[in-house]
Amino acid sequence: MNNRILNNIKKDFLIESRNRSAINISFAFAGITTLSVSLAAGGVPFTPVVHSIIFWIILFFSAMSGLAHIFIREEEEKNSLFLSLYYTPEEIYLSKLIFNIILFLSISVIVTVLYLFFLQVLPVYLFLFILTVVAGSIAIASVTTILGAMVSKAGSGSSLFTVISFPILLPVLWTAISLTSVSIDGTGIQEYRNILFLLAFSGVIVSVSYLSFKFIWTEL
Amino acid sequence: MKIYHRFIFYFLIFIVMPAVFLMALIWVPPAEFLGESSRILYFHVPVAWISVVSFIIAGYHSIMILCTEKGRTEREYKSYNAAYSGIVFTILTVITGSIWAKISWGSYWNWDPRETSIVILMLIYISYFSLYSALKDNTNRTMISSVYLLIAMITMPFFVFIIPRVYPSLHPDTIINADRKIHLEAAMKLTLFTSIAVFTIFYGYIFRLMNRISLLEHRLQEKQNDN
Repeated sequence: MNNRILNNIKKDFLIESRNRSAINISFAFAGITTLSVSLAAGGVPFTPVVHSIIFWIILFFSAMSGLAHIFIREEEEKNSLFLSLYYTPEEIYLSKLIFNIILFLSISVIVTVLYLFFLQVLPVYLFLFILTVVAGSIAIASVTTILGAMVSKAGSGSSLFTVISFPILLPVLWTAISLTSVSIDGTGIQEYRNILFLLAFSGVIVSVSYLSFKFIWTEL
Repeated sequence: MKIYHRFIFYFLIFIVMPAVFLMALIWVPPAEFLGESSRILYFHVPVAWISVVSFIIAGYHSIMILCTEKGRTEREYKSYNAAYSGIVFTILTVITGSIWAKISWGSYWNWDPRETSIVILMLIYISYFSLYSALKDNTNRTMISSVYLLIAMITMPFFVFIIPRVYPSLHPDTIINADRKIHLEAAMKLTLFTSIAVFTIFYGYIFRLMNRISLLEHRLQEKQNDN
């Protein structure tokens, strides 16, 4: 099973590397949004709370622009039936999940570096900041993978994806914003335990998605 | 439904329910600090309760749709109707809550943790309907929207039970609070619980009617397809 999942991930990366437009657009979107915030701010200092809110809003919309693509592409290219014949729904889900986690972690790295550089933010607890970005990104990728599959079956674009993702992602954004604010500000370090919430939330969503993905992907 | 069951049912809705309204508006003494505005409690709490109950019913039918093939069509419209009535009660909760907030706290909206949790519930209902209508031509519509409700159910305890207890709130103590005590006078307690009970029965009545209409529409559609 592991080899089959790896093969599917390899196939996705190969297709994306041949036609780079979608991935390029996702990275460009993340970069341009960060730069435009920095440009609009024009050097005005923000409080740590405002920094963390803007940072996570950028990450949220970057996720909305890129993470449903992996499923929408399969539907547009009429590959979903072939995939269903060759792979089990669970294998498809896990391979797309891993792809989305890798893609979103890469987007997060770009946004984080640009944000810290252009808005001149130096977190007091850098390790907590990095840990929050990683845990929050994994949680966002976990939620958006299953929702991306739903949107691809609905044949709708990114607006539906944003509408259905927002209420489910709110606990993640809420916790991540508060943790980022703590790491930048340096007060209330005892909140670091909330990292566990982000990881546990991802775990629960992945477990439920793994069990229920077949109902979305296979027509029963 | 048997004739005497129907009699009790109609008695509760058409006699007891107006009586509860009169109790809430005239008989019950106003709360100590909140004054006359506290009377909205007997409408706000029941509609908030129903909006959560509807969500649980919609979620339950969605889980059953995924677990068993038996009665899938029937469960589809039960789940949809529960969500449909749920969004109406959620909007009523937001309206009654914001009127009360204006009187007690000075503004209609404060982003209090309790206010936030009910808005999230409303957003989940709106997202569910958006997804449901977008899947119009998909034969797997029931399954996909059921999975969405199932995932939404995972996040709800976070908003309803965790956030309002972790973050400071201006909202009065809920019935399920840290002291495990209801801080109300006996008359207020009686009116509140009677109100919750009759509102729940009223909700059951509406929900049953909606399901009957959906069943008849489904049969009519099947008949038209056969012809």
